[in-house]
Amino acid sequence: MEAIEHPPIFRLPGIPDHVTYTWLIMVILAGLTFVASRNLQLVPRGLQNFLEVVLEQFQQMIDDVMGEKGRPYLPLIATLGLFILAGNLMGLVPGMVGVTGNLNTNAACALVVFIAYHWIGARKQGLGPYLAHFAGPVPLALKPLMFVIEIISHLARPLSLTLRLFGNIVGGHILLAVIFLLMGLDGLIGWALSGSVPGAIIGGIGGLVTIAFTVGFLYPLKILVAFLQAFIFVMLTMLYISGAIEESEHHSEHHAEHH
Amino acid sequence: MRRSLILVGLAVLAFPTAAMAADGTGGWIAPFAVIAAGIGMAIAAGLCGLGQGRAVASAVDAMARQPGAAARIQTAMIIGLALIESLAIYTLVIALILLFVKGINFA
Repeated sequence: MEAIEHPPIFRLPGIPDHVTYTWLIMVILAGLTFVASRNLQLVPRGLQNFLEVVLEQFQQMIDDVMGEKGRPYLPLIATLGLFILAGNLMGLVPGMVGVTGNLNTNAACALVVFIAYHWIGARKQGLGPYLAHFAGPVPLALKPLMFVIEIISHLARPLSLTLRLFGNIVGGHILLAVIFLLMGLDGLIGWALSGSVPGAIIGGIGGLVTIAFTVGFLYPLKILVAFLQAFIFVMLTMLYISGAIEESEHHSEHHAEHH
Repeated sequence: MRRSLILVGLAVLAFPTAAMAADGTGGWIAPFAVIAAGIGMAIAAGLCGLGQGRAVASAVDAMARQPGAAARIQTAMIIGLALIESLAIYTLVIALILLFVKGINFA
């Protein structure tokens, strides 16, 4: 993919690009929150106000999905969401690297989610009941089968989180790269500037159409996808955590229904 | 009709093999990888579109009947769409591996 993507403008020697830009995002997010929270006011203004609005959105989502008992997990969820959103959006800035377009970053985020929700579930219910719940409300003879299937489905969760984010971001990047290749100085615009008459007509019109298409449709779509994928990652994290917390209650409900 | 379609298919599949054999470079898997990436992505995208269309259709139906519950239905719809879409994304990832990962030595 390096063949069609321009290398980033800022590189540290010996360090992979996505790591450099992950550090950049960390510096930006930490710096913003530090500046905003250095002089806290009761009536927030400016940056503090903005960040409070953002965090209130996350809290609203948590209240909708997980209810009141999801509040303690706001730091984890909001950090993941802001990091992924910043990574997605940074990939749209020319000359920068979208860190979520790299499998390693996404796998790191998904592994954090995976370990966190198992840890939270085991802490809430105790290790034994939590593991026992994997077998599900089925007859005893079927429990080993259910246990294995459930383990596999839990292992598939970080995989699907990783690949969904990666595929969406990289797919969009390749689409943009191909359109730019078609449009740029090697493509339609270059043909328009080459001096020949049919080139000027077809290349000029085609170049204008592709520019309008990119600016009016593809870039807004990519921005939408950036927000949507961060939203989906966060939403699935919440669902996994609330599933790990609430599993025991569902279990007893099922039993009450059946007997 | 069907037999001619099969013949065309076989010819299309045989062409890169012959071309590569004439080339003398060996690696006859690479052209098949390109074909497999294209066909696989086409099937995945089409069926994913069908599935997402069904999901969105019933979600919009439900929202029209119950405008009060629109927000919750929309959230559920987006999660469902993400889960459906991830199946096509798996195919996209496999297509990208077939196209771009040079380290895989099939031959």
